[in-house]
Amino acid sequence: QSTQQRKVVKGVIVNEKNEPVAGASVSVQGNNIGTTTNEAGAFSLSVPEKCVLVISYVGYQKKYVSINANTTNVSVQLQTANNDLDQVIVVGYGTQRKRDVTGSVSSVNEQALRDVPVANMQQALQGKAAGLEIQTVGTTPGSGAQIRIRGTRSISGSNEPLLVLDGIPYDGNLNDINPDDVASVEILKDASATAIYGSRGANGVLLVTTKRGKAGATRVSYSGYYGIGTVSNKYPVFNAAEYQAMRNISPWNQGYMPLELASIAAGKSTDWQNLMYSNSHKTDQNITVSGGTSNGSTFSLGGGYYNETSLLPGQDFTRYSVRATIDSKIGNKIKIGLNTMNTVGVTNGSQFVNPMFPILALSPLMPAYDSAGNIIKAPNGNNDDNQTQYSPLLLKHNNNNWVDRVRRLRTFNSLYAEIEILKGLKYRANIGLNYTQEEDDQFQASDLPTNPSYFRAQKGNTAYVNNAEAWGYTVENLLIYDKAIKKHRFNFTGLYSIQEYHTHNTSVSKDSITDNFSQFYALGLSNPTPAPVVGGGEQSWALISYMGRLNYNYDNKYMLTLTGRIDGSSRLANGHKWHQYPAVSAGWNLNNEQFFRNSKFFSNNFNSLKLRAGFGQTSNQSINPYSSLGLVSNNNGLAAPGNVIRYNYGPTVVTGYNVSALPNPNLDWEYTKTVNVGVDFSILKNRISGSIEYYHQHTDKILYSVVLPPTSGVSGNYTTNVGSMENKGMEFTVSTVNIQNHHGFSWSTDLNLFFNKNKLLSLSSGIQQDIANQLFVGYSMTAIYDYKKLGIWQKNEAAQAAKYGSVPGQIKLEDHSGPGGKPDGVIDPNNDRYVIGNGDAKLQGGMTNRFAYKNFDLSVVAYARFGGLLVSQIHQPVASYLTVMDGKRNGIKVDYWTPNNPTNWFPEPSTSISPISTAWTTLGYYNASFVQIRSINLGYTVGESLLKKVYAQSIRLYFTVDNVAFLFSPYKNQTGINPIGTNVGNAGVGNPGNLRSGSNGMVTISASTPLPRNFIVGANISF
Amino acid sequence: KKLQEHPYTVFTVDYFKSPTGLQSAVNALYSGMRFNYGPEGAVGITCDGTDEWTYADQPRTGAGGTADYLTLGNYTLDASNGAILTPWNRNYSNINLANAVVDFAPGVNMDSTLRNTIVAQARFLRGLYYLLLVEQFGAVPLDLGSGDLHFNSKPYQGFNRLPTADLLVKDYQAMINDFTYATQYLPDQRPANAFVLSKAAAYLMLARTYIFRGYSAAKQSSDFQNAYNAAMEVINNQAKYGTSLLQNFADVNKQGNEYNPEILYSVERIPGDNNDNEVGNPSSIGGGKGVDASNDFTPDYTSVKSPTASSSTAPCATRTQLYGRPIRRFCPTAWLYNVAFADKYNDSRYDGSFRTVWLATQAGGGFNVGDTAFVLAYTNAMADSMNAIPKPYRVIAPREFYIIGGTTTQNIYPSLSKYEDSKKQQANDQGGRPFPVAKLSEMYLLAAEAAFQIGNINQAVTLLNVIRERAAYRPGLSASDLATRVAAMDINASQVTLDFILDERTRELCGESLRWPDLAMRGKLIERVKLYNPDGAAKIQPFHSLRPIPQSQLNATADNNRAQYQNPGY
Repeated sequence: QSTQQRKVVKGVIVNEKNEPVAGASVSVQGNNIGTTTNEAGAFSLSVPEKCVLVISYVGYQKKYVSINANTTNVSVQLQTANNDLDQVIVVGYGTQRKRDVTGSVSSVNEQALRDVPVANMQQALQGKAAGLEIQTVGTTPGSGAQIRIRGTRSISGSNEPLLVLDGIPYDGNLNDINPDDVASVEILKDASATAIYGSRGANGVLLVTTKRGKAGATRVSYSGYYGIGTVSNKYPVFNAAEYQAMRNISPWNQGYMPLELASIAAGKSTDWQNLMYSNSHKTDQNITVSGGTSNGSTFSLGGGYYNETSLLPGQDFTRYSVRATIDSKIGNKIKIGLNTMNTVGVTNGSQFVNPMFPILALSPLMPAYDSAGNIIKAPNGNNDDNQTQYSPLLLKHNNNNWVDRVRRLRTFNSLYAEIEILKGLKYRANIGLNYTQEEDDQFQASDLPTNPSYFRAQKGNTAYVNNAEAWGYTVENLLIYDKAIKKHRFNFTGLYSIQEYHTHNTSVSKDSITDNFSQFYALGLSNPTPAPVVGGGEQSWALISYMGRLNYNYDNKYMLTLTGRIDGSSRLANGHKWHQYPAVSAGWNLNNEQFFRNSKFFSNNFNSLKLRAGFGQTSNQSINPYSSLGLVSNNNGLAAPGNVIRYNYGPTVVTGYNVSALPNPNLDWEYTKTVNVGVDFSILKNRISGSIEYYHQHTDKILYSVVLPPTSGVSGNYTTNVGSMENKGMEFTVSTVNIQNHHGFSWSTDLNLFFNKNKLLSLSSGIQQDIANQLFVGYSMTAIYDYKKLGIWQKNEAAQAAKYGSVPGQIKLEDHSGPGGKPDGVIDPNNDRYVIGNGDAKLQGGMTNRFAYKNFDLSVVAYARFGGLLVSQIHQPVASYLTVMDGKRNGIKVDYWTPNNPTNWFPEPSTSISPISTAWTTLGYYNASFVQIRSINLGYTVGESLLKKVYAQSIRLYFTVDNVAFLFSPYKNQTGINPIGTNVGNAGVGNPGNLRSGSNGMVTISASTPLPRNFIVGANISF
Repeated sequence: KKLQEHPYTVFTVDYFKSPTGLQSAVNALYSGMRFNYGPEGAVGITCDGTDEWTYADQPRTGAGGTADYLTLGNYTLDASNGAILTPWNRNYSNINLANAVVDFAPGVNMDSTLRNTIVAQARFLRGLYYLLLVEQFGAVPLDLGSGDLHFNSKPYQGFNRLPTADLLVKDYQAMINDFTYATQYLPDQRPANAFVLSKAAAYLMLARTYIFRGYSAAKQSSDFQNAYNAAMEVINNQAKYGTSLLQNFADVNKQGNEYNPEILYSVERIPGDNNDNEVGNPSSIGGGKGVDASNDFTPDYTSVKSPTASSSTAPCATRTQLYGRPIRRFCPTAWLYNVAFADKYNDSRYDGSFRTVWLATQAGGGFNVGDTAFVLAYTNAMADSMNAIPKPYRVIAPREFYIIGGTTTQNIYPSLSKYEDSKKQQANDQGGRPFPVAKLSEMYLLAAEAAFQIGNINQAVTLLNVIRERAAYRPGLSASDLATRVAAMDINASQVTLDFILDERTRELCGESLRWPDLAMRGKLIERVKLYNPDGAAKIQPFHSLRPIPQSQLNATADNNRAQYQNPGY
């Protein structure tokens, strides 16, 4: 080697954003030559003629660069490492090196968030972290998601994790945050990580960190995309011939409409879905200007615009956002900063625009247009519907016929000041101030012969306005002390905080507006009768907290974290308002031990190995304010605007009051104790790294809104503490660099797999089953209690069927048991219903594969769930829903029984599908498993030479397809419908009665706007 | 201090310890009765599956259930039937509210007469809420969790129904006590234009309850005499109580005449005023407080062809507010229009209860709006003779009326006109007229029945003839014609039987949400359904004279042995 000629190689190292990396190490492989880069990211090194340079920097993947005889200049871009233990991550009230973390924290960095261009944060996070379960609950633009960290703990309280934005608790939802503003998201999962949030930490915490400015020249970055959405999957409905076949054997006896007979004669049919769907589009445009001075003062200013339309008319979502962060240093001791995020979101079509029912139920035999090409106003296959249901094609042109708009303005501001009092001792004040204003507008025009009104067939107009404002503040005083004495390192954080929140709304609904022209804007321009219906509400709560945390580290080998928090909440009954939350956790970095280094096995294979264990308690105060007080109200629980208890004595109208909720002077928080153990490892030169965790959570005094039997005389629910439950599970996360060669090709994989087992342990009433409240001791919270459908009674089973009062073609239910504990030949609700399954996935996870070659990169994101029952309400034929097959309307195509078609799926279309009146529910249960390719993304990063010509620092162009395919789904195979949830709880027209309602309900499938498959092109450019 | 809650929008139970709170509670008690009179579930459990009514061709699309009205009508109902939930889910919270009024009123500082009136109203309504439950389910809890007839504020998950025989005795006594109190402390008369409760209504409920008890397992020997005394108190003192029979039967339920003196108590609503009627979505069916009864009995007049069955013109294809929405949930049995109303000539009550003539609602096919479109004939013979004469409209014979399983595909039959409401905002809306609960005419029938049961047959004849003679009247009849008809209507002692009285109740009160309990409480349900209702006859069994305790109640009961609370047979 010494004979080899030497030469000087110069180069510049930049990070993924083309910012210079100062202090990166540059060395020659197999040699001890090396240097570090300067402030500009540049280096100069004398190296052998031919060699390989190794470039490394904390938080980034190592990069190998081949140097040959002609190389004199190199330009290297580093990629962030997902697994580097020196990465600094955000934890509650501070940051820690990942190496030092003792609790259970998953981190999703900016690159992972960028894999898929998304509308909102929940989509960005889905499938990206073990233990984080995100299920969509709607397919219309701007709709939300159900987010669970390590399962469900509360029955009646919220199970949504606490959202903390730049250190301040955020009471909005993830939809309010522009994903482009986010730098990273940390998910705090176990009690030792979340106990610091005390009474708000039980459901885990999502810490969202936004982008801030960086020192250096002022930079302008642009990111944006445009996409077109197509229907990924139409709902399967009966075609004209199939519809006729079904209708002819159904109970329908009113025959065909004249236009239908004409279609039959002419062999014509109408595909209402094709007529109604059109391509959607979405676009996202963001500009950020950032920079800073060398003394550490930085700024970042940005603006964004997002717009998404739906495959159906009348539904869209637009978000405008403006953001600024300023961090400024005053001298060496004082740092102050401000972050302000402001968004305006406008959602159209989320309140009442949902034409899916007629689209799927209209007769395929009815033409959509008359001979002159005009829309047929009422194209139903029966006379009844023609009185109330107009053609959904009328929705394609608004013509001032409706307004369905939610406009939400949200401003979230945080201000901090940090003073270094002594070396190592800092005081920090955080002040968060946020304000939300939401206006919900609804208007439905009166039906005019010249301008048919889809929503008000044969009716007058109606309008509704709801104005709600919410504001809250958080004040936090933090004292932080860092001290190192030889090998001992201490960090102490103390906190005192106050938080208050208020919300108030006023709503008015009014019929008989004088002219459609004025929409909802001037409700006074209307007939005095009917009188306007006015509503309103108010809620306030406060939380006072004291917290202390001590981190101790000895020689980077042993770590200990002690946390204590005391919370006082306004929501609970007097005498129960205060509670303390202790937590302890410890970590052991084996790789820093002498025996580890001495062991050939360990030192050859492992780069790092850490054991972690923690224990702590958190609680859930997420019950509604005033729950402990009891309630007398004038609300009758019926549909608005008729929902006020009224009566009239002759012409004199009066209002009545009744008891709607009982007081509970003993209302207490529910408490969750969590034990967490984990192993973090990194092996084969850091090419494989990951962690394995096991946890066990025990929740006591579950807050529970009991449905009392009607004979208790109280019609409302009763919030109280009952019973206990456990959640236990394992999480497995691994990142691998499968291939990384010096030709510039690399392939890496991030995989996470996890499961959570939920079990109700006891009910304080002492009973084993509370059927009305869907609580079954020994079973999951999502247990489905019902008859079990075995199939359909077949012709050769007629004699057996008759014993159960059935005939062939009806649903065959399992005779599970009887009064004597054995099957008794009678199907009855007290003995033959049991827990037939639950909605929990047995295993779920996500996988992202990334490939890179030279300037190209390709990533494939997959998401999978295995096990559990799916509740498909679209297949529960009750009332006039979509699989009722009464012949009156079309519906979802299913394989139904006829004497010549011995299927076991659906019963014969007839007036009675079973002698058991609730047997229809059993047709809605399916296997929930699926494997989905969520997106494929192809990117191209423009090379250095071209960049210089356009004076750009970086340009990346990409193409993405999302909702690519379901590789596996038994439900989709059988029904032809995507196995993606559309709602939470009951959303059919009849309530099965065994689904928990509200935000803790099961995710269910009903008729909803189809999921679009988007084809997106985008660019990220910075100057 | 920041942790103390100061709600601005929440009242606590203490509100009911103030005079305004007591009145608000009583308002809610009146309002809660809307669930029991008018909505489809309430109509279904009182009409469907009786000798009068059966299910029509659309019993399947009941809100929340697949075939609630089919299974009610053919007696295959199970404990998950949705219609039985109407009283079960709605009445107990009102009973508990009445308990609160009765418990709290003595401690409220207010004028004692006013207080007594408020308590009397609460007790009348509590008694009626209980009666509506006992009629359907038998014994029901008096102890909701805090003792018999006391306000319950505990989250009680038990179900105090056992033993049912003892409880039934207590139920009857509680109702009789409540109605008796009401006869003492309510005002003598109601206002002329409002149905604030008065003594006459209380006497009617007292008489009805004594009669029901007289047929029950809890009967006492004095029941029929007490019923007679209660009814005669009002019949003999009509001026004092401000009530009288109208001259013309058809006027009693006529729109615009809701506050006539024959009606003692109606559950009130304001026609066309959906918000004050607590009807948020007037075109929905069931589940609320609107008068579904105004559509439930309506046949499909929109599809009837005229002038002949084979013509292509449907002159009433456009729905109107007056004719209503043809939901076709319930249709009359052939017994009702052929047998009970066999005499449609002398007895004006057939024409006074049913719509049999429809006028064209749209132009075309030779019809102008308002032309006679079709007519339902009294008899087949009458239809045949009328059809022999050429005419621009159609006459439909009883043999063409829709019957279940029949071959006629047109859904036409006599349409109950008592709840027709031309002031609805839309044809498809629920009705909004006051719904009669207690009428002076029923007082006569109850008095006659009590007289018959205590052996005073002649008095029974006298009382029945008052009602029958009134039914002979039609406007415009000559005095001699009327006299002839009156004579034809009169009955004698040999004709009086319980079955005759039940027939007479049909003619007078047909469709007024009374029939199923009328039959069940008198032990006549099984017999008369088997005789007169072919759709129910095949499967009805003795246990069907009680409804099943709803499965949802059993599901919510904290007891692992839920089956013990169920009525036998279900």
